[in-house]
Amino acid sequence: MLCVDMWWCPMECACRIEGIWMDAVVELSEHGIVIIVEDTSCLQAKVYLQRELFLKYDYGAQGRPRFGVSLGLFVDCLNTFSAPGRSNILELRSVDSPDACIYAEIRTRIPETISWDYNFEPAGSTPLSFTVKSAALKEAIDDLEWPGSSIQIKLQPVPPSVIFRGEGHGDLQIDFNYYANTDLLIAFSCDRQVSHRYKYKFLRATTSNIPSSVIRDNRGSKLTIGRGGMLKVQHLVSVAKPSVPHPHVESAGYQPPSRIAYIEFFVKPEEVEDDTVNDS
Amino acid sequence: MKFKAFLTDNGINLLEKRILPALDKTGKICHLYLTPDHAFFLHNLLNSDGPQSIAQFQVPSLFHDYRISSQNDDVIAFSIDLSLLHRALRSILTVNSHSNPIQIKLVKKLPPQSTQPTPFLTFEAKGHKSAVVHDVPVSKPLSRADVRELQLALDSAQQMPETLVKAPELNLLQNFVDRMKHVGDVIRVSISKYGDLHLQISTTLITLGAEFRKLVVLGERADGADGGDQGLSAQSRTERAVQRGDAMSVQVSVKHFFKCLQSSLAKPDCAFYGIAPQGACLIVIFQFFVPGTRQTDKSISLHCRLPVLDSGSS
Repeated sequence: MLCVDMWWCPMECACRIEGIWMDAVVELSEHGIVIIVEDTSCLQAKVYLQRELFLKYDYGAQGRPRFGVSLGLFVDCLNTFSAPGRSNILELRSVDSPDACIYAEIRTRIPETISWDYNFEPAGSTPLSFTVKSAALKEAIDDLEWPGSSIQIKLQPVPPSVIFRGEGHGDLQIDFNYYANTDLLIAFSCDRQVSHRYKYKFLRATTSNIPSSVIRDNRGSKLTIGRGGMLKVQHLVSVAKPSVPHPHVESAGYQPPSRIAYIEFFVKPEEVEDDTVNDS
Repeated sequence: MKFKAFLTDNGINLLEKRILPALDKTGKICHLYLTPDHAFFLHNLLNSDGPQSIAQFQVPSLFHDYRISSQNDDVIAFSIDLSLLHRALRSILTVNSHSNPIQIKLVKKLPPQSTQPTPFLTFEAKGHKSAVVHDVPVSKPLSRADVRELQLALDSAQQMPETLVKAPELNLLQNFVDRMKHVGDVIRVSISKYGDLHLQISTTLITLGAEFRKLVVLGERADGADGGDQGLSAQSRTERAVQRGDAMSVQVSVKHFFKCLQSSLAKPDCAFYGIAPQGACLIVIFQFFVPGTRQTDKSISLHCRLPVLDSGSS
């Protein structure tokens, strides 16, 4: 059982790349559900829906079953359940009376083999990462649309800063200086200079659909560069709706333990730069 | 061939706020069929594809001083663009601030840059100082043969299903089907004599459905038989009811079904669903109450007949 609206935000963010609904692989485990979407072997998005988000989560399977599903269909189907003015709890019985029910069965697909290994490994002993206000990150990436094509992300320890640089029709550089903008750049960890280039299209996918609540809360999005320049972008999405009390939870004041869904994007770097030079 | 009448206040209100917006959703063009006792708005009665909608009014519910005469037993039928009709009516109401009586009549006029007089339905509000006139172009009146065919179609459209179930809240259903329509093009509607209404869209990838049980049943009913079906899924319950001959099931176009649900713009007080004998079509009957009562207003009736895409397992 799950509040239908909860699905929507994280999935909209991660699973609609370039405005198109992708097919997804869903993995079930005792910890919750992970939805994985991939684009042209260069970008992977993961949505983590922890078991705490569910009112009831029954898991009895051996291993971690995986299946493919058409996300567009899945979302259209979930939308059917969340008719306005009705309790938006996804239950297979009882919409508003014991004499009415809505049900759905979605045929699953054979999950396509994941084409490359997204095992994210740290680049060294000190993590190369920074946390930036989500709104600022989105704004910066939106601005970089103008030079387009390929974007260089550079982290340097002295002075501690993150530089986004795009060269194309013209060039545009956006600097986040840690000391100058402590309220923008919330955390910074870097012991050596590192620089990688990423396709603009994929960078934009990591922020273009983030739910308005992420921008509003403006908690911060964490970007980490791993071995080989793999970029990891993490957003936290609050799925709580504090204004609407849960109609099906009898005990007053009860709040499910977790109201956060995680979204992760993995972006492969372009293969033009010599990593050994940059990582050293 | 003559037709003229004055619209009653109730008629203006009914047409402008409720009936015309609802009918316009079903289809832009419809037949207006006028007889000495009734006025009908008819959709798709002469060409069988597409959802049929039949709105019937007793003359006094729309008009007073109603005069009609023709060489064809005093009936007249023509086709008309509902959005134009609606626009003309709204416009004349806006201009007609002194609430002068609004006359409606059939005229032949010479449109600009034309030598051929063409028929119009004219709205006219005449005051002491001014007059407002709106002409709505209409088709040539239907021939005697066509009117006969229209009347025959209308007669056969009166055929009622053996079992009717009262629909759950109209808005709920409309919202639901609105969302469901993204999932597939064909919806299976099953109606049982126990008062179950089961809607299901099924494609190769998804089965999505809604079941409403224990609805009010009109006509043939059966009870008790569903005792053993309690624990079953909606699908198997419906299947078993169909096998027992206690339910019928047809497939219709989701688009048609949604159009038909939009008739709730006419603000009916309730709706009934039924399947015509032999699964010929899905019938939705909208009922209106006499304002302020729970009594059916017999002077107005609105019902839709949706063509069946496949005979189903009736």
